[in-house]
Amino acid sequence: MIAKYRLTEEGKGYLKEGLPEKNLVKLLSYLKKPVTLEEANKKIKNFHIALKWAIEKGWVKKEDKKLILVKIPKKIEEQEALEKIAKEEEVSESLLNILIQRKLVEKISAEVEKTKKLVGKEVLHLTPELIKTGLWKKVKFKPYNVEAVGKKIYAGKRHPYNQFLILIRQKLVELGFKEMKGPTIETEFWNFDALYQAQDHPSRDWAMTYQLKKPKFGKLPEKRIVENVRKAHEVGVSRSIGWQYRWDPRKAMQLMPRAHGTCLSARTLAYEPEIPGKYFAIVRCYRPDVIDAMHAIEFNQLEGIAIDESLNFRNLLGILEMLAKEIAEAKEVRFIPDYYPFTECSTQLSCKHPQLGWIELGGAGMFREEVTYPLGIKAPVLAWGLGIDRLAMFKIGIDDIRNLFSRDLEWLRSQKVIL
Amino acid sequence: MAEESEGDFVMPSIEVSYKDLCSLIGKKISLEELRDAVLYAKGEIERISKDLIKIDIKDSNRPDLWSAEGIAREISGRIKKAGLPRYEVKKSKVLVEVDKRVSKIRPLTVCAVVRRLKINKAVLSQIIQLQEKVCNTFGRNRREVALGVYDLSKIKPPIRYTTVKPDGIKFVPLDFKERLTPREVLEKHPKGKEFGHLLKGFPEYPMFIDSANEVLSIPPIINSEYSGKVTEKTKEVFIECSGFNFKFLIPALNVMACALADRKGRIESVKVVYPDKVIFTPDLKPKKTFVEIDYVNRISGLRLSGKEICDLLEKARYEAKLKGRRIQLLYPAYRQDIMHARDIVEDAIISYGYNKIKPLAPRLPTIGGSSKIEVFSNSVAEVMIGLGLQEIISYNLTNKENLFKKMNLREEDVVEIENPVSANWDVLRSWLLPSVIEFLSNNKHVDYPQKVFEIGDAVVVDETRETKTRDERKLACVIADNKASYESISSLLDSLLTNLGVKYKLKAVEHPSFIPGRTAEVIVNNREIGIIGEIHPSVIDNWKLEVPLAGFEIDVELLSSHPRD
Repeated sequence: MIAKYRLTEEGKGYLKEGLPEKNLVKLLSYLKKPVTLEEANKKIKNFHIALKWAIEKGWVKKEDKKLILVKIPKKIEEQEALEKIAKEEEVSESLLNILIQRKLVEKISAEVEKTKKLVGKEVLHLTPELIKTGLWKKVKFKPYNVEAVGKKIYAGKRHPYNQFLILIRQKLVELGFKEMKGPTIETEFWNFDALYQAQDHPSRDWAMTYQLKKPKFGKLPEKRIVENVRKAHEVGVSRSIGWQYRWDPRKAMQLMPRAHGTCLSARTLAYEPEIPGKYFAIVRCYRPDVIDAMHAIEFNQLEGIAIDESLNFRNLLGILEMLAKEIAEAKEVRFIPDYYPFTECSTQLSCKHPQLGWIELGGAGMFREEVTYPLGIKAPVLAWGLGIDRLAMFKIGIDDIRNLFSRDLEWLRSQKVIL
Repeated sequence: MAEESEGDFVMPSIEVSYKDLCSLIGKKISLEELRDAVLYAKGEIERISKDLIKIDIKDSNRPDLWSAEGIAREISGRIKKAGLPRYEVKKSKVLVEVDKRVSKIRPLTVCAVVRRLKINKAVLSQIIQLQEKVCNTFGRNRREVALGVYDLSKIKPPIRYTTVKPDGIKFVPLDFKERLTPREVLEKHPKGKEFGHLLKGFPEYPMFIDSANEVLSIPPIINSEYSGKVTEKTKEVFIECSGFNFKFLIPALNVMACALADRKGRIESVKVVYPDKVIFTPDLKPKKTFVEIDYVNRISGLRLSGKEICDLLEKARYEAKLKGRRIQLLYPAYRQDIMHARDIVEDAIISYGYNKIKPLAPRLPTIGGSSKIEVFSNSVAEVMIGLGLQEIISYNLTNKENLFKKMNLREEDVVEIENPVSANWDVLRSWLLPSVIEFLSNNKHVDYPQKVFEIGDAVVVDETRETKTRDERKLACVIADNKASYESISSLLDSLLTNLGVKYKLKAVEHPSFIPGRTAEVIVNNREIGIIGEIHPSVIDNWKLEVPLAGFEIDVELLSSHPRD
């Protein structure tokens, strides 16, 4: 006959050493006097189990932190049952249940039965039953083709472009720059007017930027800012002669998706920036470009400013050189005269990338006084906007900018971590 | 500011002959030297094919640089320290009479005469090119400036600037053979079709016409074939600029007159008689300004002496005289871009050479930091990838069909673009789930299960804001799998929110994008922050997908402001 139950490791221990409650009663009857809890704990193994059962069965009671023997049981059913099970004899169901509950006895499952049949054979899997029954000693494990490559699993991963942007963000924070945030939809006021771009300037041409159909007009900021900007355009501020035209607030209220990151810098300057201060932003920008391998429908710019009374053009070149080295791993930089309506002196930053060769990294300049004065800033402000998408393409190893926003899951799954 | 200026501003791109350019500079310089020298004119050589060089001029505010003459002027200044170019203006007997009838249509004109010209092919192409660039870029596509150049020998002054009825006098427009009425010119001539809108709605059109009743042109549309055509045989020209504002007209005229003077032409002024005043144009007297030595040094970061600054500015074609700590300056009349001392500093340091300045990174005591929402978004993304999901990125631009129709939703207010490049991208997304499902619809051939998420911005209409809109940072997640179910997506959400330390509740709701009875609102702090459920089979079908989808979208910003338990 095959036994249905067997002793657990704990059960086997008690079979040999006696149940803890039995040992406690034995100790008390031997000493013939109450014993402190502390002393009993020292002498009896698994004392807490012993105490629980001895009290429950009414053999022992607790008084003033001492244990007093109440009666000596004639027989201890559980102890007898353990012996019977060890001999594969029948025991009552109620006793069996108590022992199972006490985890001294366990059911021998069908799995174990099956496992027993494996003795002497070659097995595929190591199972918990083989381990528990110890039968693993009596089987042979079938060798695998360990040289075969494992089955594909797809890790959860960041998008490579975001990984790149996170690295850039981290780098700028390390260099002491604070991150700026601003709205996707801007008024022309912040996108153009506050940057001293005349309302009839060709750069504000309809074809160069998006405009909104709905909602069409936003609100202008505080009167102090608006009036200063109007003055800068119409008659000039800080010894400037201005653009000399009639500035139209209605035009400045028109809404558009931001066309460059510079609007964030303007907003930062307008609302009490730290001086000295260094700020950056990674900005999603929108322009109605013809879409091709070099022009995506949306792109990111790395925008930045530095403000301090002491700053000058030489410092601007210094910051640009640092950024080119830190971000683009450039070995050499070159500065080329450039034009932006909101900066003067302006420069283009080109740098020699170890693999790509000379690349145009972005535009920069010192904000015109016609930009900074109306926003309440008298200290020089160095400003730049770097095109980081080209670098991202290089890092990720793609040559079509549209793949930065790749919609191909297979490709994403195959991408390596950006370092 | 962008890596590519052409995306930012209208950047004039011009073609010049290498030989012609060298002869204007007065010195043969190698192509290699030229590459560096054009930087003085904020130019960049785009392409060289034989003798023809294509140059991008980055300064959209200096029409004087948009020709071979202008570039040569700038280069020869720097290599020869040529100083202020002087342009002498003699008086001509040519008179232009401005009829008050133009005052409501195109009220202003300024004119010039240039004689003793020797026009060859290169000169002719420069005249045409400069005229086009001045009108299109500086003149805002002829709206602000229309500039015409005529063969003066064919004109009998005095010239009248007057108006004509659409069915009035017939003439042969440039490059045509038949005589047309002004109305027909607007209808049939390519330039009439292109620029006719500038005269739309006016009962009469502006016209230059001479004393022999020979038509010169209908500005801003087209010249006549008879006098409005300049050829290699032309020896003397009449130039007119018409528009609304002397601020644009005078620089445009000066730029053209000076370019022709650089070709050894002799400039003569024209008497322009308005009903209420008489002016003589062009006026090429140099303009006066000044700059302080300290200012130049403070802005540049250099330590230049007054003499050195004077030399640098002479190279930039100023006349500079040191007077104490100040430098008194004269600069040519073709420049209209100098608004502030800063502009003068730039000219000086361009002469100095940007690359001779030793860069010096400032040491500012600042503390860096990422924005809170980016830091939080990153933490959310970390948990999501830990749960085995692939991050995706989408454009924020999309269309209403994706946002609403394919999601079984009725159209709501969204941010709409007036001038989209394509109808596929004419609104900004107001939620992210459609972007994520669209992604899945692009990847039907790829191994399932597919589990993806996106953290990005949605833009919603919000009347209370300055920009009438608000960005919302969202997280959307969808699993596509035979076994995708409410159970699987809700345990993902639970794991995310538990790991972020957010206590939440799910409350059954109905939403047209999801299966009824398998949709819930995500509630945090008694506030709805998102939605979760099994995607409705008809939505799956709309996206031409054939696999069950379960997903959620929650507001990351609301999550980040929630106090952790």
